Amino acid sequence: MVWRFIAKRVVIALLQLIGISLVVFFLIRGLDADPVARIVGLNATAEAVKQATESLGLHEAKLQQLANYLGIFSSSGKDGIMQGTLGESWVTGSSILEEVARFLPITLELITYSLIIAFLMAMPLGMSSGTRPGGFADRFTFVWGLFAGSQPEFWWGLMFVFVFFFLFQQAGWPSAPAPLGRLNPFLTAPESITGFILIDAVLRGRFDVWLDAAHHLMLPVFTLVFVISGPIVKMVRQNMLRVLRSDYILYARSAGLSRNKVARYALRAALAPAMTLTAIIYGFLLGGAVPVELIYSLGGIGEYSIRSILNLDFPAIQGTVLIIAMVSLVIYLVIDILHAFLDPRIAF
Amino acid sequence: MNETTNPPGHTPTPEDIDQHIEPHMMIETVPTKRKIDLVRKFKEEKLFAFGVTIVALAIFLAFFGPVISPYDPNFATGNVSVGPPNILDWPGLFIDTVFLGADPPHWFGTDNSGLDIFSRTISAPRTDLQIALIAALLSMAVGTILGLLAGFFKNFLTEILMRTSDLLQAFPVFITAMILVALSGRSTGNIVVALTIVYMPIFIRLTRAEVLGQMPRGYVEAARAVGNSEFAVAFRHVLPNSLVPSLIQLSTTVGFAILLTSGLSFVGAGVRPPTAEWGLMIALGAPQIILGEWWQSIFPGVAISLTIFGFAAVGHGLEEDYR
Repeated sequence: MVWRFIAKRVVIALLQLIGISLVVFFLIRGLDADPVARIVGLNATAEAVKQATESLGLHEAKLQQLANYLGIFSSSGKDGIMQGTLGESWVTGSSILEEVARFLPITLELITYSLIIAFLMAMPLGMSSGTRPGGFADRFTFVWGLFAGSQPEFWWGLMFVFVFFFLFQQAGWPSAPAPLGRLNPFLTAPESITGFILIDAVLRGRFDVWLDAAHHLMLPVFTLVFVISGPIVKMVRQNMLRVLRSDYILYARSAGLSRNKVARYALRAALAPAMTLTAIIYGFLLGGAVPVELIYSLGGIGEYSIRSILNLDFPAIQGTVLIIAMVSLVIYLVIDILHAFLDPRIAF
Repeated sequence: MNETTNPPGHTPTPEDIDQHIEPHMMIETVPTKRKIDLVRKFKEEKLFAFGVTIVALAIFLAFFGPVISPYDPNFATGNVSVGPPNILDWPGLFIDTVFLGADPPHWFGTDNSGLDIFSRTISAPRTDLQIALIAALLSMAVGTILGLLAGFFKNFLTEILMRTSDLLQAFPVFITAMILVALSGRSTGNIVVALTIVYMPIFIRLTRAEVLGQMPRGYVEAARAVGNSEFAVAFRHVLPNSLVPSLIQLSTTVGFAILLTSGLSFVGAGVRPPTAEWGLMIALGAPQIILGEWWQSIFPGVAISLTIFGFAAVGHGLEEDYR
């Protein structure tokens, strides 16, 4: 049964991916942007424009361009998606799959740690809302959820840099590092295994790198936790209050269980929807962490996508959107399966 | 009239009779009742009152910000990168400016092009709020109508509409907005279009769910029985009864739209410099932060932060009451 559910979801996800690729493909070609002019410049001769158009394959009909992109009935002799490649960047000339493979783990690492911390924070806060509705922790959780739920993370990131880097350094206290990347430039990064720098450092036994990378990741992660913990905390609290009014909690209470034990029962039920929300935020942050990546110069997939978009690098735009959509669909699927294990009422 | 609208074989329940009141009759009585509620709510709920105050101030500045700002927000009017005056000097400076006719100081300092940050901060709502309000209203209007059609007429076309809406929701929001704005030209109009496309699916989904909940209710059957056309039933009877979720969502959406507008400007895919816009101001001040010039980014940021919180507080207050 589980397998049928997964198979059905995978089919839907594949259809969505195909839809997304097609929409993006035609959208960027339909909008009023001229990548050829961007590459050859405004004063280029007609000959140069023609040459550039042909080398980018833009002289072909739209459907033929799509065929080239997909790698079916290709007229350019190059491989397409069906051959397992996303093409080459018009700006750097290197393989998009390789570039994405380099930049994606940076973003994944940032948002994975942030979401794990935010989720772990939400649990005790949700617990306290459950054990003492109306208490201090409950009221704090409420205001926090409302406030942090929609805050400009790029501004808070800058403020944290100002306080924890500039002011702390001025005061001579141990400060956060300058927001200039993932590592101190004097350290060489360990050769990539997972792409997650903290994990790679452990696997390669480079504890100096681990400490420095953790130091550099501290503020970006803190910034994201600050913003995304809002909605998660809010959701856990709302569910907690709803679950506490349900019959089985009343039963547990009348059976004489302690407050803490009852709250723990309720928390389990309250966490399931919060996990779904966490997955949605994960998907959102994959492309939405751009401002934070920019502030701390982390160089993740978000920064790569904004660079591709501003350079009108069509293959790179198509590739990043496709990969980001794919990763988020996989995460939704995993969370749905986990959700079913947490909540026995869900049957496949 | 109500007696005749009962379909044969249907025993009227008290609930049915309630619903047989024509929607336009309800509209006459309901708003006055809700208006009183809002005033009392404003007095009793501090958070809601705070939100309403912020929202009102933001809307006021959207209209009059550029008019009342002491300096032209788009021209250099002072020395480059001057910090704001000491907070203790503010009362004195205020008296000098207002009563003694001295030149107004640069309350919030100037940025690294010499533009007055105070004037820009209070002029920015015209850009930010205009974009956010129009985009939110447009996505609500279009989304509500499409959602109504999708819920009311279940056929092949509306099925396609819902699948398209699903597809839109599977897109990465921020990147989609960046693509739409950057590739179609970084103008206010294009940002509005991009935001409308991004936020529409929420309204489609909300309204459709509400319409599906309204369909089995008595008044729909009644409206049909007295001879209304299907479109009249949908738009005159079901629509007014299905608006509440969208209206609640509106306030939240305006907040998120402000966030997205400023976020787009921050990463360089929004309005063009030197437009007075909060996200752009923060972006221009960002490189200065590690040099300790905090004033360029802090004031527009506080403005965004408060405005979005205001809209969230209003949205939350309404949600508590009507959901």
